[in-house]
Amino acid sequence: MAAIPALLPSTAFRDELRRRGGESAARCYQCATCSSVCELAPAARPFPRKQMLLAQWGMADQLAADPAVWLCHQCNDCTVRCPRDARPGDVLGAVRSLAIEKLAFPGFLGRLVGAARLTWPLLLALPVLFWVALLGLAGRLTPPAGLEAGWAYDALVPHSFIYGVFFPVAGWVILASWVAGRRFWTALGASGPRSGSFLANLMPALVEVATHKRFGSCGAARPRKLGHLTLLWGFVGAAVTSGLLIVGMYIQHLPMPLALDHPYKILGNVSAGLLIVGAAILVGNRLGDRKAAGASSAFDTFFLSVVVLVIATGMVVELARLAHAPAFALSSYILHLGFVMSLFLTFPYSKFAHMLYRTLAMVHARMAGLEKK
Amino acid sequence: MSAAPQQHPLLVVGAGISGITAALEAAEAGRKVVLVEREPYVGGRITRTHHYFPKMCPPSCGLEINTRRLERNANVRVCVNAEVTAARRTDTGWSVTLRHQPAYVNQRCTACGACTPVCPAEVPDPFNLGLGKVKAIRLAHGNAWPRRFTLDRAACPAGCRACVDACTYQAIDLDAQAQEETLEVGAVVVTTGWSPYPLDKLPELLGGMDQDVIANVHMERLASPGGPTAGKILRPSDGTAPRRVAFVQCAGSRDVNHLPYCSAVCCLASLKQAVYVKEQLPDAEVTIYYIDRRAPGRNEDVLTRVAAMEGVRLVKGKVGKIARTNGVLKLKVEDVERGVLSEAEADLVVLATGMVSNLKLQAPPFGVLLDEDGFGLPGHDLGLSVAGVARRPEDVAASVRDATGAAARAIAATGRRG
Amino acid sequence: MQRIGVFLCSGCGIGEALDVAALEKAAREEKAAHRAVHPCLCSPEGVATIRAAIDDGSVDGVLIAACSPRAKVEEFTFDPLKVAVERVPLREQAVWCQPPNHEDTQLLADDLLRMGIAKLAKMSLPVPFSAEISDTVLVVGGGVAGLEAARAAAAAGHPVVLVEASATLGGRMAGLTHLLPEGPPYDVLHPNRIAELLAKIQSDDRVTVYTSAKIQHIAGQPGQFAVTISTPQGERSFVAGAIVQATGARPYDASKLPHLGYGSSPNVITSAQLDEMLARGSLQRPGDGALPRRILFVQCAGSRDPQHLPYCSAECCGTTLRQVATIHQRHPDIETAVVYRDMRTPGQLERFYLAVQSQPNTLLTRGEVERVNGNGRGPLHVHLRESLLGNDVTLEADLVVLAVGMVPNAADGEAVRALHDAKVRAEKGDSETQRRDAAALAEQLAHHEGTEILHLEYRQGPDMPVLKYGFPDSHFICFPYETRRTGIYAAGTVRAPMDPPQAAEDGWGAAMKAIQCIEAAKRGAAVHPRAGDLGMPDFFLQRCTQCKRCTEECPFGTLNEDVKGTPQLNPLRCRRCGICMGACPERIISFPDYGVDRISAMIKAMSVPEEFEEKPRIVALMCENDALPALDQAAAQRQQWSPWIRVIPLRCLGSMNIVWIADALSRGIDGLLLVGCKSGDDYQCHYVRGSQLAQTRLGNVQETLTRLALEPARIKVVELSHHEFSRIPEIFNEFSAEIEGLGANPMKGF
Repeated sequence: MAAIPALLPSTAFRDELRRRGGESAARCYQCATCSSVCELAPAARPFPRKQMLLAQWGMADQLAADPAVWLCHQCNDCTVRCPRDARPGDVLGAVRSLAIEKLAFPGFLGRLVGAARLTWPLLLALPVLFWVALLGLAGRLTPPAGLEAGWAYDALVPHSFIYGVFFPVAGWVILASWVAGRRFWTALGASGPRSGSFLANLMPALVEVATHKRFGSCGAARPRKLGHLTLLWGFVGAAVTSGLLIVGMYIQHLPMPLALDHPYKILGNVSAGLLIVGAAILVGNRLGDRKAAGASSAFDTFFLSVVVLVIATGMVVELARLAHAPAFALSSYILHLGFVMSLFLTFPYSKFAHMLYRTLAMVHARMAGLEKK
Repeated sequence: MSAAPQQHPLLVVGAGISGITAALEAAEAGRKVVLVEREPYVGGRITRTHHYFPKMCPPSCGLEINTRRLERNANVRVCVNAEVTAARRTDTGWSVTLRHQPAYVNQRCTACGACTPVCPAEVPDPFNLGLGKVKAIRLAHGNAWPRRFTLDRAACPAGCRACVDACTYQAIDLDAQAQEETLEVGAVVVTTGWSPYPLDKLPELLGGMDQDVIANVHMERLASPGGPTAGKILRPSDGTAPRRVAFVQCAGSRDVNHLPYCSAVCCLASLKQAVYVKEQLPDAEVTIYYIDRRAPGRNEDVLTRVAAMEGVRLVKGKVGKIARTNGVLKLKVEDVERGVLSEAEADLVVLATGMVSNLKLQAPPFGVLLDEDGFGLPGHDLGLSVAGVARRPEDVAASVRDATGAAARAIAATGRRG
Repeated sequence: MQRIGVFLCSGCGIGEALDVAALEKAAREEKAAHRAVHPCLCSPEGVATIRAAIDDGSVDGVLIAACSPRAKVEEFTFDPLKVAVERVPLREQAVWCQPPNHEDTQLLADDLLRMGIAKLAKMSLPVPFSAEISDTVLVVGGGVAGLEAARAAAAAGHPVVLVEASATLGGRMAGLTHLLPEGPPYDVLHPNRIAELLAKIQSDDRVTVYTSAKIQHIAGQPGQFAVTISTPQGERSFVAGAIVQATGARPYDASKLPHLGYGSSPNVITSAQLDEMLARGSLQRPGDGALPRRILFVQCAGSRDPQHLPYCSAECCGTTLRQVATIHQRHPDIETAVVYRDMRTPGQLERFYLAVQSQPNTLLTRGEVERVNGNGRGPLHVHLRESLLGNDVTLEADLVVLAVGMVPNAADGEAVRALHDAKVRAEKGDSETQRRDAAALAEQLAHHEGTEILHLEYRQGPDMPVLKYGFPDSHFICFPYETRRTGIYAAGTVRAPMDPPQAAEDGWGAAMKAIQCIEAAKRGAAVHPRAGDLGMPDFFLQRCTQCKRCTEECPFGTLNEDVKGTPQLNPLRCRRCGICMGACPERIISFPDYGVDRISAMIKAMSVPEEFEEKPRIVALMCENDALPALDQAAAQRQQWSPWIRVIPLRCLGSMNIVWIADALSRGIDGLLLVGCKSGDDYQCHYVRGSQLAQTRLGNVQETLTRLALEPARIKVVELSHHEFSRIPEIFNEFSAEIEGLGANPMKGF
């Protein structure tokens, strides 16, 4: 028999939930309309009705270990139909951000990003200042004199600097994600037995992510699927491009900068395009029907803003080079590098992390036989 | 207080069970009363009800006594086919204008029934909520009182006088005109009752889109001997007896997207209707999907009785979606106690739709204060009271209680006795 | 009546299906003073012919041989003090349900006509009644229902005496800091308006209030209740016209709920105790006087539980929401949780439920509280089963509030009476066994000792009869104030479980009925269900044998008894059902328009064919409230049935007197069909147990029949509900067939 020491959700938990836009959980009277209209809920372990109850009872640990929280794509069919306007979509969103913070390694970074409502200037400024400082020390805060047209950014910020900074950053991000991911995976394991191998189930899960099959069945927020999918592929494209560029530079010894019609270049620009479109759709969607879109907490907004900033500065950077404006190019390049770094560093702690947790939850769902029949 | 208002009659607007009660209680205390009803008969919603909970007795039994009280009491004047079109507060009460709809069938009608067979025009039966057809001229229903036929004039074929020729008592006048009348009344009791929440506002439950998804009010007609199936519970689509009947509670009620309030009677109505089904079709499986089982007071006995019945299940969980897939109705619902989703199959689905105050749809011109759902609020003016479901969602016993109290208020408003 | 006018209608197909001239001839044979045939008797012209005959004094009894007594009532109503009226339903009972122009149909119509005339001949006119009637309304109980009843009666101009047992007025409502919202937006508590109401009452010169007062004695009848009360200032006596009993309810005894920790821990209290705390403004844990940080409410504590209160008290969910909201208002940081089985917030209370749910530090959740553990020290542990979490859980709380249900403050008058009778029999019973059984019964009923509230001087007991679960409520959904003691009406939580706003409304309703009863008494008219009936019962006491059946069987306690057991009539208590008339073996009870001899006359007036004609004759005694309307509707649908049946309507099957059976059988009538309404727990009889009484009386004659070599099967009782009109042909035809099977009544021709 589970013993709940406190009578009620600890006030702390309630405040956390409220801060993240999940206070409406209190309005729920457990009619389960939400579960019955949810296209993603598995018959054996439906959601989000049960999660609303856990939220009311303040069972933070159960929620942090609950795959359902991540199987939810916040399409908000539930929120639209809820007879009590208890907004299950928002509540689960809030629970997710809470979980990201709870699982974060190290914890203080989780809390830092979790409090993006207050800390966002810091989170954006620090990386930028880092680059300013670094280049300052290297005496590279002004573009070298006598650049002719056709210069590449290597001339402003040598690749060594980029690799020097971003490889360690990436390493760190991978480490932090690994630790957090492990914690989550173990917690999931405690929530129910699993069978089959991780890898065997990872593949189909990834395919699902890549195709957004689940998202497709959502009703109320169809437009978001498109935006979300586009953004995803934008990121993938950007990552692939970066990889190809390294290959291009050091194996193929291609002349930099690449001509606009070079396939790598095209891929890069297409990815950028996807990112722009995706971000635009998501932003537009948030500004639209609030009920169907769900509430926007600072947590969501921060992540989306960083993405937008990265894309925006990226565009400016490219245009500045084409416009042969080295000084302007350098300053915007510094911003760009700063924002990219911010995006990387906050990955395990920002909403970005749902990429990790949702994928793991999907793998777990397959292994635990929680697949929707 | 002046004795003047004493001479003025009281006005009761709406002759459902509440209106009849308010009128009779005052009249039997010696007051003159005018009872106005827009339908051609008195009784309102209860005439369409098969049985009352918790006793499972026919409303016509009490209505028999009430109509007898009405026709034997010289103090009551009943005006059917009439509406209040204007009202003005005076220092002795109200000055109201009554509009009497054209009396195509007048007092001379003996209800002999000679006209109906010769009538060529058929219309969907309004009394049976559109289930089944009736002639344009007919007795509105088996217990209709006043016992006079009614003519749906709009349905008459051009130039047809078949009924007029068939009537030996000059009771039919196709050219009758509406008439206005002005009345001085001492006090007003508004008992305009309710209408069912429209099915077609619930498309996700196939409301109004599938013949076998009916409302609780339709179930009353199906079970009633005076109904379209002579009391046999049959699926509207194919006229067969359903083997699996599902009741969906709070279909529109307790829902901020529809009716934010609880309609107060639907739980007991469904429990009652579960009994109809089991008594007629002992092998039928009945499932009632609820949020809370609301059976206040001694009505708890009904819940206890039905819950113990073989083949009746009460499941906590609101049905979110109903679909017809390869010919079968499927209800998507989570059984909250077991925490599993199911796609339950049913042959007949009864949506427990709630009550909408008629004051919200069409309020008589007395300036009754309404809440945002159109329920009438008690003002400080004893000369204007609201009772029955026009006041709040409630069952018959409570409506009668409130209506009796309203009669007392009206009497108090018209001044102290000598 | 001496001068009977027979008015035959030939309309509605009567003229086409029957030989009306022959009927008129029959009327002449029956010595009708005046006879007329009209093609449409209910038309203004037709009615005028009747009025003319009445006005020129040529008739004092009008027989209308046309349609059912339920049709055209307004047209065929005349001054009841000037003329007696009888209706013969040729249309419904001959023309519509039988083949036209058939000898059997004609014979049936002929019988109906002769029966009607025979009955009318024996009828008399009601004697105008006049008596000193008091306008005063006595209200027993000064809670919200009583106060509103007093206010209502006074507002209608009646003097009111309000008697309250406790020292102060206002009852439970007086102790409340707030009330549930009664108006929009329905999401905040409303201030208690009781003070305002008390002011109204105290300032009303028509209302006399006695606190710390008790009823000592109530004798008499509506309009003339002689009331004696005891007050701190001594005895008071006065006359009241009608009585409202608003004695309220008390909380269920929580000490019967040890599993919920009541008694074992001072920190488990009832919602009533919490209200007291909140009223005092000192919310604290009784154990140590500290402010509780965590309060848990247990709904349905002892309610909806066959071991305790099987019913739902209807107000506990609202009360708890009110208390949770009040606590949150005063101490926002106190955590409250409510564990319910079903949250019951009908109507707009649903909005308040949502508002309370949305409060911080508040949790309302479904579950069954299995037990509460703990003592004065440390937190209480509340064990939940069937929480929606899917597993049992234990909650900690500093204070647990049990939302206990309500128990009516009513006495079971009939039980008290039974106890008293049993004690007497235990003393001086005839046999040893009788004394032993009586003693045992007295033992059983001992807990009713001294429970009297109204102290009525009624033969059937000192208080109102109670319904299931001890509420002196009405059994009728359509008529919630129909208690079984004329002129005494229950209001508020004593009548049924309800919340304060409902109780207030109930006060007005009961006051309305009280006022109405007084007005009826002034005219000597009956109240519901035969409202306005002016015919008073008449007892020919010289022939009374003190068998006490009438005093026992009257559903409304109309009759008292003197020491010898002779009935003492209180006509203003009478509801005119005639059950006493049916009970009386000496046939000494009658009404101006209803009596044993009237029905006997009808039975004697019908033709009884000779045996060899093989045409059985059957008499159907039918309840006029349910069975007769059903028959009318079957006829209106032109359903056909056996022509051998002669229908005699009764006010109630309970008014059936055995002598009619004897009369019928000795006349050679082959069968008797008794059609009454539904009996049993959910009885529909407007006079409580008419068909039941008829059954019992028949039981008593059955063996007499067998002794007379008459098959008991010749008499059949059927229960028919108002809506079961489609059963009429089947009932009639089946019984006809059964009688045919039995063959002719052996007593034929004797």
